[in-house]
Amino acid sequence: MTVDADWTIVVPVKQVPDADDVTIDPETGTLNRSDAPAVLNAPDYNAVEAALSLRERAGGEVVAVTMGPPFARAVLETAVALGADDAVLLTDRAFGGSDTWPTSLALARAADELDADVVVCGEESTDSSTGQVPPGIAAHNGWAQLTYAEELEPRPDDDELVAVRDVEGGHERVAAETPVVVAFEYGENEPRAAGLHRKIYAETEFEPEEWSAEDLGISEQVGLVNSPTKVGGMDTADPVEREQAVVDDVDALSDRITEVTADD
Amino acid sequence: METPDYDNEFDAIVVGAGLAGSAAALAMANQDLDVLVLERGQSPGTKNVFGGVLYTPTVRELVDIDDAPLERYVAEKRYGVLTETDETAVTMRPGEWLEEPHNDSYTVLRGSFDEWFAEQAVDAGATLLTETTVTGLVREPGGGAAEGRVVGVETDRPDGTIRAPVVVVAEGANSLVSEGAGLRDHHDREDVAVAAKEVLKFDRETIEQRFRLNGDQGVAYNYFGEGAVGDAVGGGFIYTNKRTVSVGVAYSIEDAVASDQNPEETLNDFKQHPAVAPLVRGGRTVEYSAHAIPEGGIDAVPDLVSDGALLAGDAAGLVLNNGVHLEGTNMAVESGYQAGRAVAAAVDGDDGSVDDRALATYPEELADSFVVQNLQHYDFFQELAVEDREFLFSELPRALADAETEYFAVDRDPKEAHAEAAKDRLLDAAGGYVGAAKRAWKYRKLLS
Repeated sequence: MTVDADWTIVVPVKQVPDADDVTIDPETGTLNRSDAPAVLNAPDYNAVEAALSLRERAGGEVVAVTMGPPFARAVLETAVALGADDAVLLTDRAFGGSDTWPTSLALARAADELDADVVVCGEESTDSSTGQVPPGIAAHNGWAQLTYAEELEPRPDDDELVAVRDVEGGHERVAAETPVVVAFEYGENEPRAAGLHRKIYAETEFEPEEWSAEDLGISEQVGLVNSPTKVGGMDTADPVEREQAVVDDVDALSDRITEVTADD
Repeated sequence: METPDYDNEFDAIVVGAGLAGSAAALAMANQDLDVLVLERGQSPGTKNVFGGVLYTPTVRELVDIDDAPLERYVAEKRYGVLTETDETAVTMRPGEWLEEPHNDSYTVLRGSFDEWFAEQAVDAGATLLTETTVTGLVREPGGGAAEGRVVGVETDRPDGTIRAPVVVVAEGANSLVSEGAGLRDHHDREDVAVAAKEVLKFDRETIEQRFRLNGDQGVAYNYFGEGAVGDAVGGGFIYTNKRTVSVGVAYSIEDAVASDQNPEETLNDFKQHPAVAPLVRGGRTVEYSAHAIPEGGIDAVPDLVSDGALLAGDAAGLVLNNGVHLEGTNMAVESGYQAGRAVAAAVDGDDGSVDDRALATYPEELADSFVVQNLQHYDFFQELAVEDREFLFSELPRALADAETEYFAVDRDPKEAHAEAAKDRLLDAAGGYVGAAKRAWKYRKLLS
């Protein structure tokens, strides 16, 4: 039995365009985000699950945080439906155009403000895939980080979190002192389904707290002007034209495969 | 973490956010009831399939359809009789259909229309929960019902049971919840049709040129005969949307089981019919779907209210198919609307008590509406269609084609001889003057 040490577990989450519906503008090479409905970033489901599981073992509460326009609250509702106790929306025009540097700064300040013991992030977002935000949060706050985490083991009595990390050639178990930032590997746990009553609560009654850049004291450090990333250019790769054939039965298919592979 | 308990926080639960469910939710929300709608799809409409023409009188009664995602209004109807090689068709383009409200007939795509319609219910105050499948009804002893009264639903979610005074089951053709709860019997095989449908993408111009359309005009083509669905009882259809064309077949499941062809092959044959192929040629398939249609007629409609639960739409078997009229969605909307009104009159929002006499007005109102009136009026057809299938779907189409070929044959014989031969061919198929008169009498109600 662990003593209830009441960890505060913060889960930064992101709304991304639904990958099933997203298209790429052939002219600019950028994603047509507006065409696709915004959903919770898939790896964040694993992060929320990891956080809920930590809470079950260590005690405490889970708070989801996202940065975005007012409608980004939808992904906070998703997190609360899944079981997060509370959620904070970082929303401010000043955040507009932020790349991973100011984004991780804002999330780091929010985690600090929430007095986080553990920050659990998904490993990356499906719409930009940099994976820079979790280490960014750790760097901005000077906290420890556990990346490529597949399993977590809380040791709240020792103010430690142990992670099984996926490294080349095998696994390693690493303990870090709290506060610590975790980048949890995509698909390494099975996210639970939201409970019925919890989902109703999240979608009808729950209101996230809203914080501005000023509330976090970082108005002058966020937004496009504070984003060092410069995109040099984008290219789209044309899909390879694939040969198609319809065959009548399995034997014909087998013959065809034999034929094609024999050519190589 | 403390989760609020929503048991009996809602006045009613609606199972399914299709047209019947959303119409019920709208009717109740408009009367200030707190309604919870549970939908298994990611968004309303994703699980639904229909031809599709939506007839909108009741929809307009409930909401303003100016912003509805309608595809095209029906400017032309066509009834085509097909043999394997011939088509004989009647086409109509009444001028009145070009004027608003366009005979209340619009092609729609369910994915976008159902989502919009459910949004209207939400705007009116209903709560919609998607990706939540109702798996059963909760009963509780008492309430004058032998098996106990329906007091809520079970879902596939954790902590998934929720209670409410009334449940409207609008779960669609695959009515597992109502069957499981003993509210209806399993659909008999002979009462169900199978439909397969493709949505083909074109540019607007191609559709408008091919079907002779201006602006928002569209067509609804229905086909019968062995060229449409082989020797099965059923038919094929083509409907134009803005940038797509819906093409499909629907026929008796019993015939589908007996046939060595699956529905996909039947649809492919229909698409390759010489009279159909030029209309659907060159389209890119963007959607492929199949669905069951309950068409058992009025006899297959179960009790619509029992033990605090109401059935609406396909789940109640409210679909009309008499060959000329193919209607399900307007009946779904009307039945949902009537069910919703009855619940609104029956539930006391303050103490959650239910007046069963007020609930019982639902089947009464529906019996007076076009839904049950039409089902009763055309009830004879399904049976006759099966009885006369050889004549209707095979002999008649062939005789028509032969007679036309004969009547319009261009050669050096006098026209009178051709006309006489054509008449003989038709009379022969119909069983002489007496046979023709008998058949005319038998099918008289179709057009009345």
